[in-house]
Amino acid sequence: MLNAALLRWMNDLAGQGILITDADLKIRAWNRWLEEHSELTAAEVLGRNLLDVYTVLETRRLDRHYKWVLEGQTRILSQRLHGHLLPLPTKAGMSGFTEMQQTARISPLIADDGRVIGTLTVIDDVTERVTREAELQAQVDARTQALAREKAAREEAEEANRLKDEFLATVSHELRTPLTSILGWSNMLLAGRLEGAAHDRALDIIHRNAQSQNQLISDLLDVSRIISGKLRLDLRTVELPTVIEAAVEATRPAAEAKGVRLTTTLDPRSGPISGDADRLQQVVWNLLSNAIKFTDAGGEIEVRLGSVNSRVEITVRDSGIGIDPEFLPHIFDRFRQADPATNRMHGGMGLGLSIVRQLVELHGGTVRAESGGEGKGATFTVSLPFVDFRGGPERAERLPPNAVGHPELDCPPSLQGLRVLAVDDEEDTREMIRAVLEHCKMEVITAASVPEALDAIAKSRPDVLLSDLGMPGEDGYVLIAKVRALPLERGGQIPAAALTAYVRAEDRVRVLSSGYQLHVPKPLEPNELVAVVANLAGRLPE
Amino acid sequence: MELTERQGDAISELINIAFARTGAALSELTGHRVMLSAPEVSVHPTTELPAALAKFIPGEIASIHQVFGGPVAGDALLLLNHDGAVHLTDLLTDGGGAPSSRLDESAREVLTEVGNILLNACLGMFGNLLDVRVSFSVPRLHLETLEELLDSLTAGGSEPQYALVIYTAFHVRDSSVKGFLVMVLSVTSLDRLIHEVEAWEERQGQS
Repeated sequence: MLNAALLRWMNDLAGQGILITDADLKIRAWNRWLEEHSELTAAEVLGRNLLDVYTVLETRRLDRHYKWVLEGQTRILSQRLHGHLLPLPTKAGMSGFTEMQQTARISPLIADDGRVIGTLTVIDDVTERVTREAELQAQVDARTQALAREKAAREEAEEANRLKDEFLATVSHELRTPLTSILGWSNMLLAGRLEGAAHDRALDIIHRNAQSQNQLISDLLDVSRIISGKLRLDLRTVELPTVIEAAVEATRPAAEAKGVRLTTTLDPRSGPISGDADRLQQVVWNLLSNAIKFTDAGGEIEVRLGSVNSRVEITVRDSGIGIDPEFLPHIFDRFRQADPATNRMHGGMGLGLSIVRQLVELHGGTVRAESGGEGKGATFTVSLPFVDFRGGPERAERLPPNAVGHPELDCPPSLQGLRVLAVDDEEDTREMIRAVLEHCKMEVITAASVPEALDAIAKSRPDVLLSDLGMPGEDGYVLIAKVRALPLERGGQIPAAALTAYVRAEDRVRVLSSGYQLHVPKPLEPNELVAVVANLAGRLPE
Repeated sequence: MELTERQGDAISELINIAFARTGAALSELTGHRVMLSAPEVSVHPTTELPAALAKFIPGEIASIHQVFGGPVAGDALLLLNHDGAVHLTDLLTDGGGAPSSRLDESAREVLTEVGNILLNACLGMFGNLLDVRVSFSVPRLHLETLEELLDSLTAGGSEPQYALVIYTAFHVRDSSVKGFLVMVLSVTSLDRLIHEVEAWEERQGQS
C-alpha cells in the first residue's frame, strides 16, 4: 500500500525529475516531470539503456558517475560545473538559457544484502535560480564598480584640494618674497639713509621686485582666465621669428646674469601663422624663463624655429637639471611642481608651463616635453599649425607688457609741450604720470574726480585725456560719456585712454565702445605711458 | 591512541593516491590545473577535535558532510573556513565579476560536489583496502561554527570516537585554499583501518 502510494507520488507529484535504472542502467522509472520536460514518454524509454537514450552522457563523460554510483558512491553534479545532466529544452525567456539548468544527485539503490541493484537520479530545474543569482551578482558587481569609481573620484578631489593648498602656500610665499625687498628698501629710502650708488641700487631692487610680482600676478590672472574659459586670443598674422626674438631679448639679461648662454637658430621661412603675437611671445618667454631657472652657470639654452610638414615647431632645449621621467607626464599640469623643495630653490609657482600648454592649445597646437632624465637637460617643443596666409593689411604688433629690464625713458621730441589731463583718485598714480610725462617736457594737469576733470577740460583744453576707470562717485565711464557729449570746440573729441586694472576682454570691449580710443592695462611702464600718449596725440615717433 | 611514524606515513601515502585522483577529476571538470598538497595526517579523540581544529579554523566554517555506512561506519567531512570556501569556489568557476563575499546556492553546490569527489576518493580507497563496500549518504553542506558541527556528528554510541585528521591545501591558478579532511570513526573501525593499512604497506614492501 505504502509502496504504491510512494510510487504514485514519485511519478505524479514530485516537482523534480526522478529517473531509476537497474544495475545495467536500463531505465525502470521515468516520472511525469521528466515526460513533461523531455518530450519523451515513459513508454518510449522504459526498458532502454539510459546511455542509449542519451548518448551525449558518454560524449560528455558523465557515464562515469553512474559507474561510480554502481560501486556504492553517491554523486552530486552541480549546475555551475556541469550546466545540466540531461539535455532538456527550456523556454529561452528571461533566463537566456536554451537548455534547462540542472543540479543532479545520483545515488545507489542498495538491496538488503548490500548489493547495488540500481541507481536513482533526482534532477532539479535551477534555471530560474541561476538567473536570479546572475542578476544579483551583476548588481553586486555594479555596486562594487560604482564604489570604486566613487573612491577614485574622491581621491582625485582630495588630490586636487591638496595641490590647491600647496599652491596657495606657494603663492603667498612667492608674493611675499618680492614684497619683503620692496618694503625693506623703500623704508630705507624714505628714511633718507641711502645716498648715491646705494640709492640707485635700492631703486633698482625695488623696481626688479615689483616687476617680478607683476609677473606673478599676470600669471595668476592668466590661469584664472584660462580656468573660467575667458581667455580670448586676438588672432592676427604673426611672423614667428619676430615674436621669438622679442622674447629672447627680454630674457637675455636674466640668462646673462646667471652665466647661461642663449642661442637662436630661426628659419625665416617658418610662418607666418595665425595667432596672438602677445600670447605666443608669452609662450616662448615662459619656456625660456623656465629653462634659465633650471640651468646652472656655464649651461646652454638653444631656441630653434623650423617647419615640419604642415606645422611650425619652436624648440627650447637646455642643458639644465632635466626632468624626472616619473614627473614628465605631469609637467604641464596646473599647480604641479616636481619637488616643492627643489622648486623653492628655483622660485616660481609652476604656473608657467601650465599657461604655455593652455595658450598653445588655444592656438590649435601641441606642446611636449622630453628629457633624458635628471641632470640630462630638457627639450620643450611647441608645434603650431600653418594657417592660410590671407594677406590683408598687417597691424602693428604691440610690444610685450612684460619686457624685462627698465630701459632709459625714450622721449619723442614731438611730444614737447603737449597738454595732458590725468584723472585718477590715487595721488601716487597721478604723481607717477606727472613725473614721467613732465620728464618728456609735457604739460600735465591732474584731476582726482570727474567734476574736477570736466572743470579742467573747460579751463585748459588739454590735448590728451588719460583716465582711471574705477573711482569713487562718478567713474571713468561717466567721465567719457560727459566729455563725448560736449561740442567739438569745447573738447568733445579729445583723444582719451582708459588706464585700468580691469583687464578682461569684455572690459576692453566696454571701454572702447564707451568712447575711449585706447584701453591700457595697469600697471604700465613709463615708456609704455609715453607711447600711449604719443599714440593718442597722433605724434608717433618715426 | 597515536599513530606511529610508520602508520602515519602509510596512511599519508594512501590518501595521496586519492588526492591525485581528486586533483585529476577537478582539473578535468574545471579546466584549471588543480592539485592537492601532500596530506599531513594525525589522529585525535573527538573530545580533542575542537582544540585540534580551532586554531586553524576560527569563525564560521563550511563543511561538506557525508555519512558512510557498512562494516566500517562513520562521518567524513571536508572543512574550509568561510573565506576559503568562497575563494575556492571563485577559483574553480571563473567567477567573472567582482570576487564574491558570499556563497550563493550555486556556489554551495559547487563546494558540495568538490567535497563529494574528495570524500568519495578517500573513502573509496579505504573501502577497497578493507575489501568492504562502503555506502555513502548524499553529501550536505553546512555553514556553522566548529562547535555546532561537532555536536551534529552522527557516529555516536557508547564507544569512544576517534578522528583521522588530514590537513591539505587545494592549489588552483597560483592560489591555494587550506582545508581539513576529517573522518570520525569508532575505535574499532579505526583499529581495523590501521591494521589493514599496515598490511597494505607490508605488501608494498614485498612487491
